[in-house]
Amino acid sequence: MIAPDWFREDRLPHIYCTGCGNGTVINCTLGAVEEMGWKREETVFVSGIGCSSRAPGYILTDSLHTTHGRALAFATGVKMARPDLNVVVFTGDGDLAAIGGNHFIHACRRNVDMTVVCMNNHIYGMTGGQGSPTTPPGAISTTTPYGASEPAFDLAELAVAAGANYVARWTSYHVKELTKAVAAGMQTPGLAFIEVRTQCPTNYGRHNKLRRVSDMIEHLRSHAMLVEKRDRLVQEGKPVPDDIFTVGELVRRNRPAMGVKS
Amino acid sequence: MKLVIDESRCKGCNLCVLVCPYGIFQEGTELNSRGIVAPVLDRPERCTNCRLQALYGRMLCGICHMICPDQAIAWIDEKPLEPHKVEVEF
Repeated sequence: MIAPDWFREDRLPHIYCTGCGNGTVINCTLGAVEEMGWKREETVFVSGIGCSSRAPGYILTDSLHTTHGRALAFATGVKMARPDLNVVVFTGDGDLAAIGGNHFIHACRRNVDMTVVCMNNHIYGMTGGQGSPTTPPGAISTTTPYGASEPAFDLAELAVAAGANYVARWTSYHVKELTKAVAAGMQTPGLAFIEVRTQCPTNYGRHNKLRRVSDMIEHLRSHAMLVEKRDRLVQEGKPVPDDIFTVGELVRRNRPAMGVKS
Repeated sequence: MKLVIDESRCKGCNLCVLVCPYGIFQEGTELNSRGIVAPVLDRPERCTNCRLQALYGRMLCGICHMICPDQAIAWIDEKPLEPHKVEVEF
């Protein structure tokens, strides 16, 4: 177990389904927190509603489990009232992109000093697999039985455009890279946004011929392309496949941040 | 050090089977008392972390430990510590 003094061992095993990637993301985030050497009294985990937002319940610190989509709004409040606290937000794609979309772009615009870890499982997992704004085109969910016809949100690019100071994207397969990215995000003043593509074999994979956990992980791994490689392909004028998503560090910059510990 | 799977937490997703570079984790065949088919360990002394963690004083490899969504994989101290011959195949 990573970071045994950060886990509420009495609450384990957690409620996540077999093979759910959210547990891996908790491991990686707590690994990064331990690397940073933060104290438990100075760290707050904030979450909204959804599978991903159950995560702070398994972590032995003060946490806020807030209303749907408003995790970033609450986290901004925490950071404004107590700039000395380290704030980490766990959120899901339905929470962040659909209901809390506006809070997300404005938190990025304000560049509030916190770390946002988004567990993007391409679906509303907890409520039965409805299509979310990040469901890839053509994917089958309970509300898109003939395949999603709308283009999906690219959350990391959205955060870059809205002005976050650190943006990275990894999948739950890339555990070491993800831990480093979360740690780098925690070190960067300003909003750090880490999008993690996780597997949801129960509600996403089941409808999309990826029922086994290994199939779903293999699908994520084979569709991930390093951002450097994508840039190189574009430079050389070679075709970039349509169905890939870029992984890696998308941006690291020094825009003026809000609520930085002085 | 000794590699162990905590069967009270494992949900049998077999992600460790997928990622272990040594193929130490093998898909199990028998249901345990919780009704879950947990992976079985095939000669766990081949694990690099088991052999060398004490020597290097830090976590080596540790991918299974990191990717396990159920926090079920751990290394525990063996007592008494006995050196034994290990054959490592790549």
